[in-house]
Amino acid sequence: MGDPVAAPPATLVDLLDRVLDRGLLINADIVICLAGVPLIGITLRAAVAGMETMVEYGLMRDWDQTIRAGSARVLEGCTAVAWGETSGTPAPHLQAGLEDQ
Amino acid sequence: MSSAGDGPQALAGSSSAGCPAQDAADCPSSRVPKLGDPTEGCYVYCVGRAKEEGALGLTGIDGKKVRALGVGDLCALVHDGASKPYSSRDPKVVADWVLAHHHVVEAAWRRWGAVLPITFNTIIAGDGGKAHENLRRWLQDERERLEGRLHALHNLAEYGVQVFCDPGVIAREVADANPELHALRERAISGSRGAVYLSRRQLERALQRDSQVRISQEVEAFYRRVTSCMARVHVEPVKDAPGERPMVMNLACLVSREQYPGLEAELHQMSAREGFSVRLVGPLPPYSFC
Repeated sequence: MGDPVAAPPATLVDLLDRVLDRGLLINADIVICLAGVPLIGITLRAAVAGMETMVEYGLMRDWDQTIRAGSARVLEGCTAVAWGETSGTPAPHLQAGLEDQ
Repeated sequence: MSSAGDGPQALAGSSSAGCPAQDAADCPSSRVPKLGDPTEGCYVYCVGRAKEEGALGLTGIDGKKVRALGVGDLCALVHDGASKPYSSRDPKVVADWVLAHHHVVEAAWRRWGAVLPITFNTIIAGDGGKAHENLRRWLQDERERLEGRLHALHNLAEYGVQVFCDPGVIAREVADANPELHALRERAISGSRGAVYLSRRQLERALQRDSQVRISQEVEAFYRRVTSCMARVHVEPVKDAPGERPMVMNLACLVSREQYPGLEAELHQMSAREGFSVRLVGPLPPYSFC
């Protein structure tokens, strides 16, 4: 993934995100399924999420797990010991503090 | 359109609800809205600042012909169809609808320079063949607000910027850089049995803590640099993609042509940083900023 600018064009997931969830909501009583428009998006999203290739869709990553996996790789060189369950408080989400932009 | 009770309105709306001469061929009698027919609706793709009217040669959802419906300087792209929302359990079908919707919005965006994409499945009620009339009235009522938003979006494009991180690379960096962790690692390898256990636990926790800090610092610094190269930004939830590095930042960015080279340079710089990679999506119509 060296060159960010040569990234492939928008994938279906990129577009689903935007077309189903974003865009202007016409908030007027002339619209069928007024204000419930997002519900339709959710229905359709459920169908799409059923696809195996879409399992990543909308899932929040378990950040703590990921960090542990990374640390475990550094520890690989160490003697194998039963080091039991990994513990500790869940790491704060990385984006905390950035959301208030 | 012949009911006496509907007289003045039907006359006023006759050019929109009926078939304009130029695309009469697109308008078989079965699609002419009938009075009291609740099945006629008008699906809206987007709104732009353009004086256009009638067929545009664009194809929308399910092959429907897209047409422009204008009021003053504003114009909406629509297709006529059932006043029933699209719904399916077949992902392929949904994907095709979404792509078709996007293609119409994108074509309008490229043509007009600014567009307000409308959320998927927004259908104006027909109410006896008056869907066009209803939409025109809405455009008229909302004109100021819509024009203001379109003005603010002119010549701006949405880009998705996603940052991925390999936590293993960062953990190794952290371990190499910290002499205390060196010592812990030695004890974890060659100490007595008790010391090995204890050292491993300590090392593991220290690595997790320091990796988290390091990654957060990197990502926050990137965020500060990159947001100076855009008009607006939304921080989106990160998402997992199987088989890929974990995503640590997901941004929707609104970027001008002048700002783009700066953004590109920042992305190059971040992707050159060991353990991090960047994905760029776009340019897209401003779905996230309308």
